[in-house]
Amino acid sequence: MNIEIAANTIPSAVSESDSTAASMRRLMLAFLITGFSALLIGATIGPFQALNYGGVDVYPALRPLLQSYYQGLTIHGVMNGYVFTFFVTCGLLVYLPARELGVAPNLTMWRTCFAVMAIGALCVLYAMADNSSSVLWTFYPPLKGSPFFYIGITLLALGSTMPLPILLKMRATWRRHRPGEITPLVTYMSLITMLMWGLAGVGVMAELVLQLDPWSLGLIGTVDPIVNRTLFWLTGHPIVYFWLMPAYVSWYGLLSRQVGGKLISDPMARITFALLMIFALPVGTHHQFSDPGFSSIWRGILVVLTMSVATPSLVTAFTIGLSLEYAGRLRGGQGWFGWFRALPWGDPSVAAQVLAAVTFILGGATGIVNGSWQLNAIVHNTTFIPGHFHVTVGSVTAMTFMAISFWMVPHLTGRQLISRRLALFSVWTWFVGMTIFAVGMSWAGLYGVPRRAWVSALPHDTYHALYGAASVPLALVAAGGVLLWVASYTFFAVFFGTLLFGRRAAPPPVPFAQSFGGPASFTIDSPPNPAQSASPLIRALDHVWLLTGITTLAAIAAYIPILWPFLHHVTRAPGWILW
Amino acid sequence: MDNKTGMSPFDAAFHASAERHERFWIFGVLVMLVLLTIGTMFYVVHDYGLVTGTQSYATDPQAPAREAAFQDGKVVRTGPNSYAVYMVGRAWHWAPDVIHVPEGAEITFYVTSADVLHGFEIQGTPVNMTAVPGVVGTVKYTFRHAGLFRIICNEYCGMFHHAMVARIIVDPAGTP
Ligand code: HEM
Ligand SMILES: [Cu+2]
Ligand SMILES: [Cu+2]
Repeated sequence: MNIEIAANTIPSAVSESDSTAASMRRLMLAFLITGFSALLIGATIGPFQALNYGGVDVYPALRPLLQSYYQGLTIHGVMNGYVFTFFVTCGLLVYLPARELGVAPNLTMWRTCFAVMAIGALCVLYAMADNSSSVLWTFYPPLKGSPFFYIGITLLALGSTMPLPILLKMRATWRRHRPGEITPLVTYMSLITMLMWGLAGVGVMAELVLQLDPWSLGLIGTVDPIVNRTLFWLTGHPIVYFWLMPAYVSWYGLLSRQVGGKLISDPMARITFALLMIFALPVGTHHQFSDPGFSSIWRGILVVLTMSVATPSLVTAFTIGLSLEYAGRLRGGQGWFGWFRALPWGDPSVAAQVLAAVTFILGGATGIVNGSWQLNAIVHNTTFIPGHFHVTVGSVTAMTFMAISFWMVPHLTGRQLISRRLALFSVWTWFVGMTIFAVGMSWAGLYGVPRRAWVSALPHDTYHALYGAASVPLALVAAGGVLLWVASYTFFAVFFGTLLFGRRAAPPPVPFAQSFGGPASFTIDSPPNPAQSASPLIRALDHVWLLTGITTLAAIAAYIPILWPFLHHVTRAPGWILW
Repeated sequence: MDNKTGMSPFDAAFHASAERHERFWIFGVLVMLVLLTIGTMFYVVHDYGLVTGTQSYATDPQAPAREAAFQDGKVVRTGPNSYAVYMVGRAWHWAPDVIHVPEGAEITFYVTSADVLHGFEIQGTPVNMTAVPGVVGTVKYTFRHAGLFRIICNEYCGMFHHAMVARIIVDPAGTP
């Protein structure tokens, strides 16, 4: 490509060889390595938890490091759910758009984003390591952790919204040079994700800054448990989209190219993201179906809203499925399933993403169960719930991020994967392990096995009296956990091995997908694309502030009636340290 | 996007067929979700008793737990075939921790907490409610079978959360 020539004419354009591009690669690599290091810690602890449910208590042997199951579980939830996902996402959603647009991001701001999150992560790690804050990743008050914990989470949350201004600025630069054109797809999806997250973050920020931070510092004496729980879920539901949407960015924006085809429908991707943003915020209280204090009418509305959330994901299933079919048929696949077999399964990045998409069928089905009130009453806070989210965030997000690392580490470092076979082995084992694990957890939940419980520490007879009926599913949980250990350590061997010892080779480019009828490149210096006669709907969706406004209004409308009675019946609860 | 330039015949044909199926799929999805919603709503209305309600709020988080009804911890008869049970969660036990109720009677549980959040789950039933300090929640349930049921705390409450288990013994109808 002749980016280098063009780079001279457009000052903000980046070329592959200049120093800005090198800084971008280094920073992206830092986000990636930090994120996966967090997963290394989290994924080391996860299988101990799976063994716990299988009745095997390894915690006494871990005593010098971990004082209790609950300390380990706090670390697992925080490292995997926050640190891993935030770092990878805040890297990707700046790097990919910058590459798509051919525009340099504001590096100072991106570095600040990294630094703020890194300081936050260190504070939280410190607070968890000394067992002063075994409050789990949801930190419901009036359980009370140390100030380092809450301030660390505050910094993590704050840092994770910093890609938003960076994206807005890059998009503005691009649009100045290309008036009248629609925002390119990957940038659009990234921007909608960050706008959604910026709005959603208001809940947990209010909880932390107004209540838990000053409370843990001793500035205020009491907090209201239910108000804080509600504020938490205002962010805690959208966070699942913050986990999911970056994976969708890769599925829509890259995967079709990786399998050798095209994205079937660019508009569908935009509609999906717009819907995800609008629906994500108002439905947070469906996590509180079992809490007192919500009216039945509201619960009914929530069921409807929650079901609507499934629409964008089902549309995604269709569009991605069809894009894969297109590629499979181009590659010579015949008949009903031939195209699926004809996909390039030898590419670990493709295999990981397609397998992730397959586990999402289970994730979506269990999600619909959670959303439907009466069924929710049966599964609420049982192992069914972690069963559900390990086939969403634990597979869709984790496997897609692994998939991304398989092309991105070579892309960033110029080093080849040390072993394609090991990479393939790790994703297949992850797929099989996570499926077995999730089936076991969900099934055990139907026997009323509670989540977040150190059941293996119970006297043997008690464990059997309470959970003996679920012994088969609980054995599956333990078996899945052990497989996941093998999978994750194989993956880390490939990941860190490639970083350290990969053979030097020409770095592969970012595999941006072309959509049907769309141009091959959207970089700022590519030929103008006026023929992009997008439909009125797509033009309307490009008004991201309009979408933001609608989402804000929907969220306000949803939350005023909920918070109103709570704010009129404030409970002043002092803190408890019970671990 | 109607930019047809650069589409091969295979692309164009695939695209056209894709658009047709797309409309079909979206229609199918919407119908399915509407039916699911109606289904669960019907179930809720049909079995309305399971809705968690709110009896009262207090500023002092321990106030409800100090009320006489919660202190006594007795099963109170409230009608010919209905009973009330007042249950307090404390780290790490339920009070009362063994109760007897008759089979087939409508039981209203009043649940609160004296310290942190707890989860009031009756294993093997859909009864599942958060016990919140300062708030009294209610839930009604009728046990259709005699036998031993367990109340298992399912909201993390500290070091012995997993051991916070109480028992409900449902006596066969007809026994005094
Ligand atoms: C390496 C494989 C993994 C295994 C064996 C594993 C196992 C488990 C188990 C057994 C639980 C339930 C613990 C309980 O409720 O007591 C759990 C909780 C959780 N896991 Fe994983 N997990 C794994 C990977 C992941 C990944 C990749 C993520 C996210 C990216 C993740 C996020 C979480 C979260 C957020 C929780 C909730 C913690 C809580 O309830 O406080 N896990 N995990
Ligand atoms: Cu949710
Ligand atoms: Cu508990």
